[in-house]
Amino acid sequence: MAEKKVSKLALELDDSGKALWDALGGVEQEEPSPGLRRSFHAKLEHASRRSWLDNLRDFLGLRSNTGWLTSAACLLVGLVIGQVSFVGSGDDGARLAALEESITALNRRLILDRLDDTTPSTRLRGVMDAASVAAGDAEIASALLVRATQDRVPSVRSAAIDALASSTKAPAIGEQIMSLLEQAESPIVQFALVDLVLRYGNAAQIDQLVNLAEQDRLHPDLQRHVYASVKGDTA
Amino acid sequence: MKAVTDEQLIQWVADGDPSCLAALFDRHHHAVYHYLLQMLKEQALCEDLVQDVFLKVLRKAQHFRGEGSFKGWLFNIARNVALDELRKANRQGTDPLDDCETASALTDHRSAEQEAAGKQKVKLVLQAMAKLPAAVQEVIWLGRFEFDSYEELGQALNCNAGTARVRMHRAMDLLKSTYISMHGVPVDG
Repeated sequence: MAEKKVSKLALELDDSGKALWDALGGVEQEEPSPGLRRSFHAKLEHASRRSWLDNLRDFLGLRSNTGWLTSAACLLVGLVIGQVSFVGSGDDGARLAALEESITALNRRLILDRLDDTTPSTRLRGVMDAASVAAGDAEIASALLVRATQDRVPSVRSAAIDALASSTKAPAIGEQIMSLLEQAESPIVQFALVDLVLRYGNAAQIDQLVNLAEQDRLHPDLQRHVYASVKGDTA
Repeated sequence: MKAVTDEQLIQWVADGDPSCLAALFDRHHHAVYHYLLQMLKEQALCEDLVQDVFLKVLRKAQHFRGEGSFKGWLFNIARNVALDELRKANRQGTDPLDDCETASALTDHRSAEQEAAGKQKVKLVLQAMAKLPAAVQEVIWLGRFEFDSYEELGQALNCNAGTARVRMHRAMDLLKSTYISMHGVPVDG
């Protein structure tokens, strides 16, 4: 006799109800034919074969029909906007230039705000954004210089020094760096500026740096560092 | 203990690995087959439908939100497949779950075997079961053999746990009264 299946379903039954429940447990359940599993696996393999459409969907990140519809709608909107912009403007060049100018101004404002943010990670991001534009923008270069010399977080200072690499040779920035170096009293600020000049400065700036060292206007350790670096360079 | 849960497997299916469905099939196809056989009474048809149920699972895998068990969700799909078949078989087009005649007209092909084996009591209970509407049969069958909680049973029956509990008790009451009306006495313990 087949083993009765135990049910854990909570039921409140009287004796005859329980007897019925128990009797049901004795029902023999017929098993499916052995070929069913094999047949299903074959069907599953067939159903799992991926069409080129599925592969394309995955490639484009579109796993559902909704995704396709959304993409198609976005494409359509883009085309309409493009068409309207193309047809409806006689002074495209001026409008485009004004648009680019607005974007540049916004981007510049964003970089300056980030450089002045209270969060180190945001300032670091600002430093990275500023690196590509500092050479052509004195205000951003100055803000970077402040980060390079005054930021309390070493990683931000270090990143700012690297970001100033392309700007150091620019006359205005170079003068600003040397001016700051002459005024700086903090050894940490001096070190940051000396490092900047030694790494990216031009010959005139290096000479000016050696002069400052000879005049004892740098921390003694930095003086030795300058001499060692310059001798190393000349050697 | 299962190394990987059904819910994890169906998630993998939804993520694009249909091979995991084979594991789910191996775990559950017997139970689905038994349920369909109870509802439809035709072995060959039920074997085809079991496969259809799991192929529907493959197509609908992304809709499984993990709000209930996979098994409850699976039996809900199986139930809809069974209902579709019952509707096809019903020429009047009425809801098969409300049609007592459809259910009682289905023959119990197990009776002869079980009678031959001396399982008189089981045979009598099955006779009473066959007189019940399909909606009642399925509640008893799923509650007796497949689910240990009303939450899962409700998920399979597309209702909440409280409703599933009420339906289960009513179904057992109906089975008991049907048994007594057919055989004159309650089933002996």
